[in-house]
Amino acid sequence: MKNRTNNFIISLFIAIGVIPFAAAFVYALLYSFGIIGIANDGFTTAFWSAVWSSGTFFQSFLYSFSIALVSITLSVGGALWATLKFRKQLEQKFLSFILYLPLAVPGIVTGFFTFQLFSKSGFFSRIGYQMGWISQPSQFPDLVNDVFAFGIVLSFVTMIMPFFLLLFLNVYKNERVEELSVLAQALGANAKQVTQRIFLPILIKKTWVIIVLYFIFLLGAYEVPLILGQESPQMLSVLIIQEIKQYDLDRISEGYVIAVMYTLIVSVAAILLFLPRRKPAYET
Amino acid sequence: MFLEIQNIVKNFGQEQVVKNLSFSLDAKKTLSILGKSGCGKTTMLKTIGGLLSPDSGSIRLNGEDITHKKPEKRNIVYLYQEDLLFPHLNAFENIAFGLRLKNIPKSIITDRVNHMLKSLELENQSQKMPNQLSGGQRQRVSFGRAIITNPSLLLLDEPFGSLDAGTRHRMQGLFKNLSKEFEISSLFVTHDLKEAVLMGDEIGFMQAGNLKVYTDKNEFIADPETGVEEEIKFWGALAGLEKNVDLKKH
Repeated sequence: MKNRTNNFIISLFIAIGVIPFAAAFVYALLYSFGIIGIANDGFTTAFWSAVWSSGTFFQSFLYSFSIALVSITLSVGGALWATLKFRKQLEQKFLSFILYLPLAVPGIVTGFFTFQLFSKSGFFSRIGYQMGWISQPSQFPDLVNDVFAFGIVLSFVTMIMPFFLLLFLNVYKNERVEELSVLAQALGANAKQVTQRIFLPILIKKTWVIIVLYFIFLLGAYEVPLILGQESPQMLSVLIIQEIKQYDLDRISEGYVIAVMYTLIVSVAAILLFLPRRKPAYET
Repeated sequence: MFLEIQNIVKNFGQEQVVKNLSFSLDAKKTLSILGKSGCGKTTMLKTIGGLLSPDSGSIRLNGEDITHKKPEKRNIVYLYQEDLLFPHLNAFENIAFGLRLKNIPKSIITDRVNHMLKSLELENQSQKMPNQLSGGQRQRVSFGRAIITNPSLLLLDEPFGSLDAGTRHRMQGLFKNLSKEFEISSLFVTHDLKEAVLMGDEIGFMQAGNLKVYTDKNEFIADPETGVEEEIKFWGALAGLEKNVDLKKH
């Protein structure tokens, strides 16, 4: 009975989780080599060569990687700092409830809010104009659709920092970091040493898989970069969708090349991340 | 006297948890303190260790007033009831923790930790993480980590409370040996009567925030408050019962 239930769960997982993904990947792979596609005449590596030589993918990947890295660093760093400094206040009922609210806001809404607040015709620009700090909207700094991706990073940080804060508060409690810190103090550690040798290593070691998964999620984020990103380079997901929706039918295959390359990179990263390496726990 | 506690009072709100605590302890001696749960034993230890501030009174260690010194400056180590090991460090690094804080050369740390691991009979477990060790092994690592820093005073808060009878017996023996080898001065809190008698050079009894230290073990046994007499009567009666059963069998 147990075996039958297990088999059913595995079959369900394959049907829902594996087959659609594998089918989409195979479709993209075939399209990228010209085997399928309305304007394609059969197997060719031309699309791969075109993407490889244009450098668009690598530019876009580097750009996405940088934005995801900066966003995750700011979010994790900020959440760690807040956990360290304001843990007791954040554990109060009202504040912990407030922390959950940003998690319910969709990315596209956050993107629009950021646009409304920081664009040249947005809220802060208008305040600046009313206060006499600027005399026309063009004097307001480029904070959305800008080269440094300020708007994208700000939206990402707004979206994921509360999540990490809640995560760290939970790990702090479950891993008994408070008691371990007192113990470290009793063994001679000062406040800085407690932070460096107890607080940070325990919290980061316990959550690094989630941190990396969020990094991968940000790498492939779509709505926020679509609203707040610049024309070129673009973040990967935006670039892929733009290529696939092109009127130029050859560019569709190039879009699939980028999608396949991105999928392979993320899959390899995920496999390396989840490779089993745990040693067995003590057995009585 | 090495440790002198004078008139320590600790309140939590309206409740006086430690009442006018005064006692002293010679160097390299262990004072075992017997007391039931909630009698103020842990609060007393945490106050001496600097993890709680006393409302009044003074603590002198080796002639120095340490009443208001920070815990990390006291050279007193408080050992929790549980074997609270650092989960991100293996057994070796857990024991080395206090030494690494002091910028001691690596080779000396390695030698001292290896020596400690040998004393604790844990030579083959040094690379294991806490979740790969048994309860007794974790407790031994916890001891080693505290003792290796050469603390002036060790505060043990029911350290064997969570261990089974056999492991507890072995740990008691091990602690006695370590105390002798490393010349440790300690306060050993327990709610186990036998353990209190076995572990202490001196014995105290704590009840409702008051501590009474006995001049010798006979005085401790004779005091009806400690419950030793009751215990002796119980085991005596049981032994008598068994003797009768044996006689009937024969």
